[in-house]
Amino acid sequence: MSIRKARGGGWQMAARCLTALLGGYAAAAGIASLGARLLPIATAEATAWGMILSFLIFVSLGLWAFHEHRLTRIALVIWGSAAATIGAVLLIGPRA
Amino acid sequence: MKARAGLRQPMAWIHSWLGLVAGWILFAMFLTGTASYFRPEITRWMQPELRTEAAAPAEAARSAIAWLQANAPHDEQWYIYLPDDRTTATRIFTRPRPDSMTPAKRRREEIRLDPATGEALEARDTRGGEQFYRFHFQLQLPHPWGRWLAGLCAMFMLGAIVSGVVTHKRIFVDFFTLRWGKGQRSWLDAHNVTAVLALPFHAMITYTGLITLVLMYMPWPIAANYAKPATFAVEAYGNDPEGAASGRPARLVPIAPLIAAATEEWKGGRPSTLIVRNPDDAASSVTILRDGTDALNARGGSITYAGADGRRLAASPPPGPAIETAGVMLGLHMGNYAGPVLRWTYFLLGLTGSAMVATGLLLWTAKRRKPGATPFFGFRVVERMNIGALACLPAGMAAFFLANRLIPAAQPGRSGLEVSAMFWMWFGLAVLSLLRPVRRAWIETLAVAAVAFASVPVVNALTTDRGLIRSIASGDGLFVAFDLVMLSVAACLGFAAWRAAHIAPVAPRQRRHAGPPASAGKELADAA
Repeated sequence: MSIRKARGGGWQMAARCLTALLGGYAAAAGIASLGARLLPIATAEATAWGMILSFLIFVSLGLWAFHEHRLTRIALVIWGSAAATIGAVLLIGPRA
Repeated sequence: MKARAGLRQPMAWIHSWLGLVAGWILFAMFLTGTASYFRPEITRWMQPELRTEAAAPAEAARSAIAWLQANAPHDEQWYIYLPDDRTTATRIFTRPRPDSMTPAKRRREEIRLDPATGEALEARDTRGGEQFYRFHFQLQLPHPWGRWLAGLCAMFMLGAIVSGVVTHKRIFVDFFTLRWGKGQRSWLDAHNVTAVLALPFHAMITYTGLITLVLMYMPWPIAANYAKPATFAVEAYGNDPEGAASGRPARLVPIAPLIAAATEEWKGGRPSTLIVRNPDDAASSVTILRDGTDALNARGGSITYAGADGRRLAASPPPGPAIETAGVMLGLHMGNYAGPVLRWTYFLLGLTGSAMVATGLLLWTAKRRKPGATPFFGFRVVERMNIGALACLPAGMAAFFLANRLIPAAQPGRSGLEVSAMFWMWFGLAVLSLLRPVRRAWIETLAVAAVAFASVPVVNALTTDRGLIRSIASGDGLFVAFDLVMLSVAACLGFAAWRAAHIAPVAPRQRRHAGPPASAGKELADAA
């Protein structure tokens, strides 16, 4: 059985790819932004750390989306953390 | 199928798909980026009529300001890029006042000056090394799409590197294994050798490449912290004086003492760029930017002086650890700090990266080739795309150099014609190769590319007075090195064409497990 079948059919594969790419980006942006907002150091420094590390978060989430079998779990974790972190950032508002 | 497969199998699967989808663009990015490590040198080669000598920064700044005071006294801002060992001309451009006929803040065309005499240099119009540099991250697409596509491919590259490391079960053993003439196994060995040999470089160059455009790709941490995004740049890199002109004329103070003061404050650091705002006005300012080549951090900092009396107005804040990290990542990617030995090392590592992507793409087809069977549609597409990217892009780069020598120096619009020559050669050859059987197409496109590169030194010798023999005699290291690189590239491509002609295709490796065909995943995990 191919990986593709093991990972579900065409639609499931498309959902997995979209979650990895778009959801992964949204979650990385959200996590990096929330971290940059909450890190108790100088604002510019916290911002730069967030930006520098964001791609590491993105690639980790993106690859995990193809390692984990259960699509619902992937979607929940990735889209959920994206929504939660972006929501939190919007609620807290900017520092300055 | 087990409920939870190991880590390796899905990583092998995602590795081949990431590599396949982004591979051709990544190859083009790697190759043009590698060439861009010699951006100023390529530009100098492409204007052979210029033989300027770099002058001391203070002298170049003085002559440039004298030219601007005579030719652009009413413009709002002057930008002066001082010459160094690699770029021997002074480059200047200005921004007119927004209230004039031109649209606000538009920069005028760049002018180059002889740093010693301060006279404008006349040479053939060319994009020079800038062409490969811009293509490397803009892919000749309209803004911002090229940069987004390049970023997406870089992200795929990062994913392919991480999943590739997980996939290769015996990565450091494989590094010492290179089996020639064994078809698929050889491509896999070559892929492993080029990947593992320079793995730290590949990982570094991919991640730092994303960082170079991080403000575009990932601006959200700024938005999370600052109501006005511009505040971040001010906090991180210092304030740009944006004062309005007073309307009272006041001649700029001599520039040499300001440069001396900045050099002393930087403990010997060189100035690279001057920005003069409201020149010859009582409210004028002169910002001196530090050259990034004597430190890993590409952002060298800046000091601003009052133009009317030379008072020190402001300086960029010392960077914190994160800002410093970002600056060092930028410096590592651009390699401007690198001296000649390290620069050539960067160049060779970049070629290794190009070879890694190329062998990965060839491995994809080698693994799926079935002798005697009609290849499936996707296989034929990948095979043809490989020819179009791996053999035809180098031919296009050679055509760019040849066009520089063959298009008359006075021809209007010639810099655009040079760029057209590159893409006509690249895509034209790729389309023509479709008319030939795959094996012949490989041999012929590689041979065309080899001949094109080999003819660069010949055409150079015929059309300029700076041919190889004369360059050796006059000790012109740049022109000698350029010709030798052209001949080396031609030799490598010629060797590739010869191999393609003399090596019979080898069937894919026999699987260890007999019986019904193993799963594609199993096959990938086995071979990759």
